Amino acid sequence: MRRGQHPVLEHLTFALAAGSLTALVGPNGAGKSTLLQAIAGQLPVAEGRIAIDGEPQGAALKRRARLALMPQRTEMAWHFPITVRALVALGLMGGNGADRSQAPCCQVDGALQRVGLQDLAHRRLDQLSGGQQQRALLARALVGQAPLLLLDEPCAAIDPPARTALLAVLAQLRDAGLTLLVSSHDWGSDLEAYDRVLVLDRHLLAQGTPAQVRQTLGELRLAPHGCG
Amino acid sequence: MAVVDSQAPGAFWWAVPLLLALVIGLLCPLTGTLLLVQRRLFQANLISHAVLPGLALALALHLDPALGGVASGVGGALVADRLSRHAPAADGSHEAVLNTVLAGFLGLGVLLIPLLHLRIDLEAVLFGDLLAAGPTDLLRALVALGAVLALLVGRYDQLVFLGVDPAGAAAMGVPVARLQALMTLVTAFTVVSAMAAVGVVLVMALMGAPAVLALVGALSLRAALVRAAAVGLAVTALGFGLALVPAINLPPGPLIGVLCLALLPLANLVSRRR
Repeated sequence: MRRGQHPVLEHLTFALAAGSLTALVGPNGAGKSTLLQAIAGQLPVAEGRIAIDGEPQGAALKRRARLALMPQRTEMAWHFPITVRALVALGLMGGNGADRSQAPCCQVDGALQRVGLQDLAHRRLDQLSGGQQQRALLARALVGQAPLLLLDEPCAAIDPPARTALLAVLAQLRDAGLTLLVSSHDWGSDLEAYDRVLVLDRHLLAQGTPAQVRQTLGELRLAPHGCG
Repeated sequence: MAVVDSQAPGAFWWAVPLLLALVIGLLCPLTGTLLLVQRRLFQANLISHAVLPGLALALALHLDPALGGVASGVGGALVADRLSRHAPAADGSHEAVLNTVLAGFLGLGVLLIPLLHLRIDLEAVLFGDLLAAGPTDLLRALVALGAVLALLVGRYDQLVFLGVDPAGAAAMGVPVARLQALMTLVTAFTVVSAMAAVGVVLVMALMGAPAVLALVGALSLRAALVRAAAVGLAVTALGFGLALVPAINLPPGPLIGVLCLALLPLANLVSRRR
């Protein structure tokens, strides 16, 4: 991937197993958000290819609800006058949503229930804690029933208990068969919550289970760090 | 006799100005709320200052001044967007560029008046002359109100998505650039329509203050819009009514502007109570 003449991401080859929870870690500016946006089809890829379910990305994305991207919290206008429920319903805009047998309101209820926010559905978004706001965003990504979720820094700027609760929700979604790729600049103990870890710093430094990645990074003398 | 006098032609001279005040009281807060939640209210300020050159040129060319004003306002917004695109916001350069474009367009308009040998009541353009408004002004405001309502009805969900999560909206296929262009056009139309009533300077108060009050605790953009429109209606009706009180006898435009100022502490009070 290039920005102007400058490559921002290169030498990347990896696969995500269906029904897995994968962490995408790296320092700020490593290209994590860029990679997620590229997978979501929001940024062009200069060389190489991205396939979803074995299908070329372009064709796969033409059919709706193949993947959903949860943005970084800094991109959100949290003081916008909107309830949690209405925010989640935005995920169904334009006919998005794979399950035609369910009414939109049921899909919204289902998504809220999966993240444990059903009791806060009618609260205004800025009346929620940081962790609850992240779960509301996750519910919006879930409501379209996409099998692949790309989550950009969902654990950023939330306190440790809220982070633990969010990671538990992600594990439940993985257990329900969803495939999740979760970016984080946090290389701490939270890594153990993931099945696999990709370490990115403009190119792929390491990939594997958390233990394998720690070993590889140790050999490269790049000790994991962070606040998790 | 008093009865005969009230039925004489011109006895209802206040009807058109009052209707215009009420329509503007709905129109400006609706547009202002929409811009405020999209964090684009400054664009209205920029457009309000940028309408003058187009207005002057249109008058010189014997065209409808409103069309010239809208074109000039949109032009000012485009120039500001172009020039500020690479100016960093962090050190204030972005804001400086926008303010310079705003002042530059206003200056250009003021220069065009003597250069084109025009007779324009600059005070009326800047601060409005509601009591002198005619049916054309009212019709223009009604068309602008129709345009804003059409935008809201046709694109409500997209406007909500764009306001709460612009990047997410783009990712979900919301036509962000087209929506923003429509908002710029509607804003220019609103400013030009409100010119006769409150002028291009005071219009900012009527766009901003009711929106600030209406957004406190609103659970949806729809609720905020309805509240803002109700507040705007009350403020313009009160301002107009006060202007007609013989003991006061002040121009309604500035009165409406001052009443809008009073809404801000009220908004703070309501916000604190929540």
